[in-house]
Amino acid sequence: MTSSTSVLWVFIVGCLLSSARLIFDTPRVAHEAQDTALRSGQRFSDLRDALPKAGVVGYLGESGDFALGHYYLTQYALAPLVVDHSSEHAIVIGNFPRSQPAAFPDNLKLVKDFGNGVLLFANKDAN
Amino acid sequence: MATIGAAILCFATGYLFVALAIGEFHFQPDLMFRICLSLGLGEGLFSIVYFLARCFGFMALWRIDFAIFALLLAAYLFSRARRRNVVLSHPIRQFSARGLVTIAFAVALFAALYSATLRFLAHPYGSGWDSFAIWNLHARFLYRGNAHWRDGFTALISWSHPDYPLLLPAAIAHFWTLLGHETPVVPALLGLVFTFAAAGLLVSALDILLGRTSALLGGMALLATPFFIELGTWQYADVPLSFFFLATLVLLHMHRAQFAAGAVDGRLSNGLLALAGITAGLAAWTKNEGVLFLCALLLSRLFVRPDSRPLPSTKSSPRSPGLTPFLLTLLPTFCILLFFKRFIAPAGDLFSTPVSMLHKLEDASRYWAVLKWFGKELFRFGQWLLIPIPLLMLGLFIMLKGKIPREASPAIRASVVALGLTLAGYFFIYLITPYDIYWHLRFSLNRLLLQLWPSAIFLYFLRIGSEPLDFRSNHA
Repeated sequence: MTSSTSVLWVFIVGCLLSSARLIFDTPRVAHEAQDTALRSGQRFSDLRDALPKAGVVGYLGESGDFALGHYYLTQYALAPLVVDHSSEHAIVIGNFPRSQPAAFPDNLKLVKDFGNGVLLFANKDAN
Repeated sequence: MATIGAAILCFATGYLFVALAIGEFHFQPDLMFRICLSLGLGEGLFSIVYFLARCFGFMALWRIDFAIFALLLAAYLFSRARRRNVVLSHPIRQFSARGLVTIAFAVALFAALYSATLRFLAHPYGSGWDSFAIWNLHARFLYRGNAHWRDGFTALISWSHPDYPLLLPAAIAHFWTLLGHETPVVPALLGLVFTFAAAGLLVSALDILLGRTSALLGGMALLATPFFIELGTWQYADVPLSFFFLATLVLLHMHRAQFAAGAVDGRLSNGLLALAGITAGLAAWTKNEGVLFLCALLLSRLFVRPDSRPLPSTKSSPRSPGLTPFLLTLLPTFCILLFFKRFIAPAGDLFSTPVSMLHKLEDASRYWAVLKWFGKELFRFGQWLLIPIPLLMLGLFIMLKGKIPREASPAIRASVVALGLTLAGYFFIYLITPYDIYWHLRFSLNRLLLQLWPSAIFLYFLRIGSEPLDFRSNHA
């Protein structure tokens, strides 16, 4: 076997090592039911019917590591409505999947609690 | 039923485009090449059609699609009756691969298919944030928005990158419209199609240009890149972009190879260039990096003329058409992209004020930081096990050096310069990024390198050539 043929076999074995990684690592990719449920937007299905078909609504959410992700998922679920991360809108969506605060800003009036931490507010100060 | 109908219509549209440009298939790798090219091209064309339909407010998509299909079919039948079919000839003779290389490739293909299928089932809505925060979100704005579809492309949600081109979102929305409902299966399947079409395109192109051994080794290098397979199921636009980068370079090299062989009429030559123009345009319509690639490709043709090597001059040898067919077919997609950028999308987020950018460019520590990450990621972006494939390729190149032509052909040099300039563009963007430089590098550099990976493998094997990998000559 020539040296170039040997190195070719090293190349092939090297590639197959990474193929083995695909085979052995992939079954560990768990089906995350919670992640799928979050992305499917089921939590917002009732809220969607209570909102206008288009326009811009406000958003009030949790703080912490997952806050941004939850906001993005809210926008994803409610498109084509634009969800602005601000409570300075006539309609404001509350999204508290983990823990609901004891009190909300004074200018927000709770219109409806849809359960699962999904709330609908009206902003008394907005035009 | 509608799903199958939509998929067939999409593929057939792409296939007719390819057939119109370069005639009918004649042998196995050519058929695979056409199928893979048609898959990507069909999705790209579906995307363009959807975007135009949205802009003009005419959403009878089944009718539009059938009309386009009928027109293409009529044009194809008309052109077929008028001309001889053109045979895509092998400029270099094929070598038969050894059985064990074929088996090794089959193992790599099986592993990739197995992994992609499991991931597809485990994460039907994709992985990572960009799938729902950018690509599928834009698809929802296009599909659900009706008269308000433009609302989603607002600076109010600048985090969703509303300036990103729409190939993937509009293709998804097109399928949803044909099906009459939203389903996560569409973006997931599109991701899989692009992943395996890229691999198929690489294998078939190398098979046509070099021979079976190079094709199987090249395909193995790509399919054994775990991150390529993983990212293909994430529902991001990086793998589709890598498909269009590869398709453009492959078509340009096939044009060059056919032209150099001097055995075909100018029609095939023009057809390959025209298709390359379409795929380059679709790259720009996929992600902003596609625009960078396009500029790099055109610039590289200024630095290195792919046609500079004198060709055998015969009466029948065609005259190089230059880049005219490429530019002509690129133009429509590019105009659509300009329209989107000018009239629909808000400004992008990467370019801040000139003073701020200049200030960052003067900071030597940023160069060092980016350079370090590039050096580090180059050997680990694929998430390979134990030995990075770029290292294996380097080792193979060094060992085969004596058998490899000393000088790369001008066509290969031009393509390498194009990829190099694209990489330099990525480097520059990191230097001026308004975001934290380490955060930006950490979450995007591996994907940017992966965009270029199939093209890099293609050029690598072209550079080596077919003879050093011919087992028969090695064992003779």
